[in-house]
Amino acid sequence: MLRIRNLFASIDGKQILRGLNLDVHAGEVHAIMGPNGSGKSTFAQVLAGRDIYEVVAGELTFDGRSLLAMSPEIRAREGIFLAFQYPIEIPGVSNLYFLRSAVNAVRAHRGLPELDAVDFMSLAKEQAAGLGIDDAMLKRSLNEGFSGGEKKRNEILQLKLLDPRLAILDETDSGLDIDALKIVADGINAMRSPERAIIVVTHYQRLLNYVVPDHVHVLVGGRIVRSGGKELALELEHRGYSWLEAEQKAVV
Amino acid sequence: MTMNSVLTKQTVYGAQFSAILDRLPGHGLVWVDRLRERAMEQFLELGFPTTRLENWKYTDVSPIRRIAFQPIADRVSPPLPETLRLQIEAYAAPRLVFVNGKVDPELSNRAPLRLLSLSEALADPEQAKVVETHLGQYVSTSDHAFAAWNTAFFTDGAFVVIPRGIVVKQPVNLVFVSVEIGEPRACHPRNLVIAREGSQVTFVEVFLGAGAYLTNTVTEIIAEPEAVIDYYKIEGESAYSFHTGAVQAHLDRSACLTSRSISFGGALVRNDLNVALDGEGSHCTLNGLFAAGSGRLVDNHTHIDHRKPHASSRELYKGLLAGDATGVFNGAITVREDAQKADAVQHSKNLLLSERAQINTKPQFEIRANDVRCVHGATVGQIDEDAIFYLKSRGVGEDEARRILIRAFAAEILDDLRVPALRDQMERLFTNWVQSALEAA
Repeated sequence: MLRIRNLFASIDGKQILRGLNLDVHAGEVHAIMGPNGSGKSTFAQVLAGRDIYEVVAGELTFDGRSLLAMSPEIRAREGIFLAFQYPIEIPGVSNLYFLRSAVNAVRAHRGLPELDAVDFMSLAKEQAAGLGIDDAMLKRSLNEGFSGGEKKRNEILQLKLLDPRLAILDETDSGLDIDALKIVADGINAMRSPERAIIVVTHYQRLLNYVVPDHVHVLVGGRIVRSGGKELALELEHRGYSWLEAEQKAVV
Repeated sequence: MTMNSVLTKQTVYGAQFSAILDRLPGHGLVWVDRLRERAMEQFLELGFPTTRLENWKYTDVSPIRRIAFQPIADRVSPPLPETLRLQIEAYAAPRLVFVNGKVDPELSNRAPLRLLSLSEALADPEQAKVVETHLGQYVSTSDHAFAAWNTAFFTDGAFVVIPRGIVVKQPVNLVFVSVEIGEPRACHPRNLVIAREGSQVTFVEVFLGAGAYLTNTVTEIIAEPEAVIDYYKIEGESAYSFHTGAVQAHLDRSACLTSRSISFGGALVRNDLNVALDGEGSHCTLNGLFAAGSGRLVDNHTHIDHRKPHASSRELYKGLLAGDATGVFNGAITVREDAQKADAVQHSKNLLLSERAQINTKPQFEIRANDVRCVHGATVGQIDEDAIFYLKSRGVGEDEARRILIRAFAAEILDDLRVPALRDQMERLFTNWVQSALEAA
């Protein structure tokens, strides 16, 4: 589904990704782990099409089509979803209005009829209930004054409503207490399916106790330096990242 | 422009004044003629303001000065374009409609109130006495040339008196339509609104038009003790027009005025809104939204004068500027020595949609009392690209994302419009404005 070859990306002339390779197939859950500054968030943002990052070289294809020339909104409509590490607060836009605009933009692209306010409301309520999101939260301004946990749950609500084929979750566990973490993890697990792939980007192994990955990759210095099964995450939990960073320096 | 030609132009207005005085409403009432003559002298003495004056620093009115506008003395009923008719119809009864400065009985629909136009009131000896007590008593003509010009030349307007203790539920709509007829003309609408003790009223002034013209309006608002007034000013003039408007409100004890000013139209727009908090415990809220695209200038000058103790004021003006538009917000607040416990909060927030657009925003506080709370803040920003990316990453298209964020910027003002029909109308105007701003970008 997703194929990345020798990807180089930079911001303001500074190289962040330096030759990243990755293959993700439908039905798989991949974890991208790595120390701070290793390029995890850049990787997530580049997948979603953030234009402040310049892709200098490499291939990035989704179902055999290059993503590089696709705008973020087209990627989203084609089925790529990024749950933000820091969801943006937008005062003056109701959460519900935003969600409906997004869902209808995606539906239109897929040849489905738009949902009116009433139909959408019942769909949103149904999906929100499982995430502990009440009506008041749906009606408030988008993410404005939401707690860290509320923001992350709201991201998962978007994930469920937009029903993407590839979901990228950027540090979705950060800022969550244990109860919120379980709610969010249940939400993600409910989205696992043979047609969908999920990439979990995380610094800590904590979320992976609940969302068990098929593959774990370690990102250091803008490239994947080690890949393995779920046990690699546990090893990182015990040993930290420094041994891999040291190995990496030795190689360079 | 040389001093000579300025004098010449003013002489033109002097000659016009002599020629039409006897056809203006209230002629023959000594006090009206005197009021007009005195204002005319002041207008000739002041001349049009220049940018050397602090209050006009960013607003160059030479496009107005260069034209010798013809006055309108008699009622002329030009055919109205369909779009204007539809816009007028959007404002329900009770409604007074003025076309080129004169009340239009056919387009007006006064039921269920007994609304009078100012010319009708001046023609009725009993009403004229009430008018005499108030007209021209609040707005300053000694330092504001446009207000002086209006006072000399006003042709008509609304005269609204809400009796003591009466609560008027329906908003009173006052619609001013200007239509270009031949040479450029100046309309001078003049309104007087009096809310007697304990009364409550919502009134809406709407300015519309087609073609090139000048609307130079003055409104005096008197709120007696405990009166509550909701005032809306909708400036939706044609793209080729000039609009200068002065509002002077006078609030007595525990009176409350909420003003919401929305400016979408006009090539050159200057709104002056002055409020005297002249009673203990009086309160005003002044909210504004102005949107301007290329080639336009919108200037909002407000002045809140805390004259008595325990008065409070809240002010929020939002400017939205696209293309090479210029915006001005000048928020003056005076707290007099006796006005202890004054509580004033002012915010000016501005969103620039292009690098060529500019905003000049300035708070101007003069505080002579010592036990007061005065807060102000001003922000100027651009569309947040992180927010744009967030919306796009959810499938929302670039233009739609911008529309959503621009609408979000205006939400505090648009969502606070309490008259549903008006809110819908403003929503449409705003959507159109945003669309044209995005297309021009």
